[in-house]
Amino acid sequence: MVVFVVAVLASPQRNGELIFLSLSNLGNVVRAVSEIGIIAIGMTFVILIGGIDLSVGAVLGLSAVGTAILMVDNGWGVLPTVLVVLLIGAAFGALQGVATAVIGIQAFIVTLAGLQVARGLARIWSGGVGVPIAYGDGPQQAPPSFEILRGSINGVLPVPAVIFLVIGAIAVVVLRTTAFARHVYAIGGNEKAARLAGVPVTRVKIAVFTIAGLLTAVAGIIHAGQLSQGSPNDGIGYELNAIAAVVIGGTSLAGGVGTMSGTLAGALLLGILTNILGLNNIDANIQLLITGLVIVAAAGLQKLRRTVT
Amino acid sequence: MPDSAGALVSMRGITKRFGGVLACDDAELSVRAGEVRALLGENGAGKSTLMNVLAGVITDHEGGITVAGRPCRFRGPADAQAAGIAMIHQELDLVPGLSVAENIFLGREPRTRLRTVDTRKMAAAARAQLAELGVDLDPSRAVGSLRVGEQQLVEIAKALLSNALSTAARVLVMDEPTAALADAEVRLLFATITRLRERGVAIIYISHRMEEIEEIADRATVMRNGRVAGTVDPRTATRREVIELMVGRAEDEQFGHAATTDHGQVLLEVRDLAVHAGRPRPGRTDPAGIDLTVGAGEIVGLAGLMGAGRTELLETLYGAAPVGRLTGSVRLEGRPYAPSGPRAALARGVGFVPEDRRGSGLQLDHSVGHNIALTALRSLCTAGVVRARRERRSVREQIEALAIRAASATVAVGTLSGGNQQKVVFARQLLARPRLLLLDEPTRGIDIGAKAELYRLLQRLAGEGIGILFASSELPELLGVCDRIVVLRGGRVVADLPRHRADQATVLAAAMGSAQGAGA
Ligand SMILES: Nc1ncnc2c1ncn2[C@@H]1O[C@H](COP(=O)(O)OP(=O)(O)OP(=O)(O)O)[C@@H](O)[C@H]1O
Ligand SMILES: [Mg+2]
Repeated sequence: MVVFVVAVLASPQRNGELIFLSLSNLGNVVRAVSEIGIIAIGMTFVILIGGIDLSVGAVLGLSAVGTAILMVDNGWGVLPTVLVVLLIGAAFGALQGVATAVIGIQAFIVTLAGLQVARGLARIWSGGVGVPIAYGDGPQQAPPSFEILRGSINGVLPVPAVIFLVIGAIAVVVLRTTAFARHVYAIGGNEKAARLAGVPVTRVKIAVFTIAGLLTAVAGIIHAGQLSQGSPNDGIGYELNAIAAVVIGGTSLAGGVGTMSGTLAGALLLGILTNILGLNNIDANIQLLITGLVIVAAAGLQKLRRTVT
Repeated sequence: MPDSAGALVSMRGITKRFGGVLACDDAELSVRAGEVRALLGENGAGKSTLMNVLAGVITDHEGGITVAGRPCRFRGPADAQAAGIAMIHQELDLVPGLSVAENIFLGREPRTRLRTVDTRKMAAAARAQLAELGVDLDPSRAVGSLRVGEQQLVEIAKALLSNALSTAARVLVMDEPTAALADAEVRLLFATITRLRERGVAIIYISHRMEEIEEIADRATVMRNGRVAGTVDPRTATRREVIELMVGRAEDEQFGHAATTDHGQVLLEVRDLAVHAGRPRPGRTDPAGIDLTVGAGEIVGLAGLMGAGRTELLETLYGAAPVGRLTGSVRLEGRPYAPSGPRAALARGVGFVPEDRRGSGLQLDHSVGHNIALTALRSLCTAGVVRARRERRSVREQIEALAIRAASATVAVGTLSGGNQQKVVFARQLLARPRLLLLDEPTRGIDIGAKAELYRLLQRLAGEGIGILFASSELPELLGVCDRIVVLRGGRVVADLPRHRADQATVLAAAMGSAQGAGA
């Protein structure tokens, strides 16, 4: 909230109006964070069970490459492409879940390895170069209906932003009300006690990593659509931005404590920050610096608030 | 009136609030050198809080402390230690990944001439201190692999050693040091206390076990609702008087005696149960041929010394033991029973209250309500969604039934007093409506009133046909509550005594392996 006000105050003007508050700019902010935001939603579940997923950036790259190749090179329709890419993301997450939950390797190690594997797969599949997506009905062209990801509803709300907000809303409700969510929290709070209390720990952990993989694939498809290409080098460093959004949102890296609405706010905060710095033509390197400071400040505020109450 | 003139330590007007909770309310306490002072009170009366103030753990309190006549204001535990005050904390705060010796010397490791840690000296001193307490523990073992009782002894050794090393060793606070200890270990601890008392150390001893206090304490101070309700001589005061001071009204300490001797059909039948671990597991006593039955509506006590294999047996029956090959047979309600894990056990109606509430019982950061509802969550859901109202009602019922003292169901369990945390673990199991309850030290740290309530509750559950297997290191409660007492030693049953044949001497003799005990 505070950030929003600051953003309004810091907004440059055009024709006497605040650019920041213009509908198209606000839509733009949400569109810009939609990929990181969707990934951060999955990341929230993973961090809540006391895990971490470092593979998401690479899986996003793999999904974007897959989307482009299946439609352009293999001539698939939109629906089968999307389904298969989602399946790939989910399966990748599930495998990482099995490695952590069943074999018991630490999530950090598993997903660090997963990062390498997914990046490698993306490079092999694409031959190491980006696959551009051209639209049309001919060979080597993607179905025009896929271009919807570049469009917006009523010319105001970009489609990726809508997808992000819908998934976000569902995730908020799921985490607030379901038994599954209680199990997620219980595992993060005390895994041994959760197991003794009859929580299906292994199953929940695998499900959580699967959700993270699935949502990352969603972000990858959006990424391919927005950029009209799938490059094996897409999504580098996204895992850190997603983790930052979750932590700014007040979720503890130790697990067991946090909310989904916090994550959504964290993602939006990062988006607003980038947007306002961009509108003011701040140098990109200075932008990095400021973003870093804001992350620390936000996390510090969270900590303060928790100790006060 | 306690005379504060000759007092070694005196605390006056101590008040401490946690949010809305008044934990200590103008409390005062003075102890003399060479005195053993018992501190009594219900769960949540403020005993631990008052002692945490004395030990410098809590610093934002009102009121003052004088040590040997000099006013002190501690800014942290180190200040208190410098003034000669050491404390054994109620909740075990050891570092699980470090060894026994490293834990005992944490923060004051002996150094060699090269300024590296002198591990040899550390191990030797740790071993000697533990031997004095009668435990033969390898000082290099990781604390995380120890049983609760053993951890408690390590904690005691740690405080004793700090006391011995300190030049100004004057006061030793023990907050429920025996809650997880069996009789033999308690004897050795008392011998140590007696030695310290002769050296002029003042000892403040918190316990919910009246027998211990009558035996060891010179005076007993009772707290109620954060205030000191009175100080009595435990040898002359009757239990009735003490309990009246504690709860503010007259009430008898009572074991709800089961009238029934005729129990329904056999609920649990264990025949020659043994666990064969591939490799030896240090510190574990796996079942090595156990025969045991529990009838519907029967309360069976499990007695034995530390390391007798009580916890291991209960864990095996709950499917919570580390993997190993099982032999023998277990039947539950006539059908074969071999749970693959806690979920399978719960599905067959078997519940378990583990002994280590913080380590394996609770999500400390989470609310009381969420903790209580966890096991029975499925029954509070429609299509995977938790029904908030149904959950609130069930939680409230359990809070009332067990008289859990919490500001509300939404506060974090970690902020409750020790005894109330234990009740939350219990409530979680009861909400799942088990047919067989496995209890491992369920009264650890629970006050007399709550214990009596718990015994009544067990009787009521038994009356409803629930079978109960009740492991405890407190013999009087087993003798008072159980229909039958099974004594374990070395993972085997060494005695199976019906109530009328069980008494303290017989059970102890069997547990320690004297000849006359094995009359099963
Ligand atoms: N860190 C804390 N935050 C909030 N409330 C607390 C905290 N510590 C203690 N309390 C509250 O203060 C009161 C006194 O607690 P305390 O631990 O001193 O009780 P106690 O007499 O030691 O009980 P027990 O016999 O169960 O150990 C309780 O109501 C407890 O809930
Ligand atoms: Mg206490």
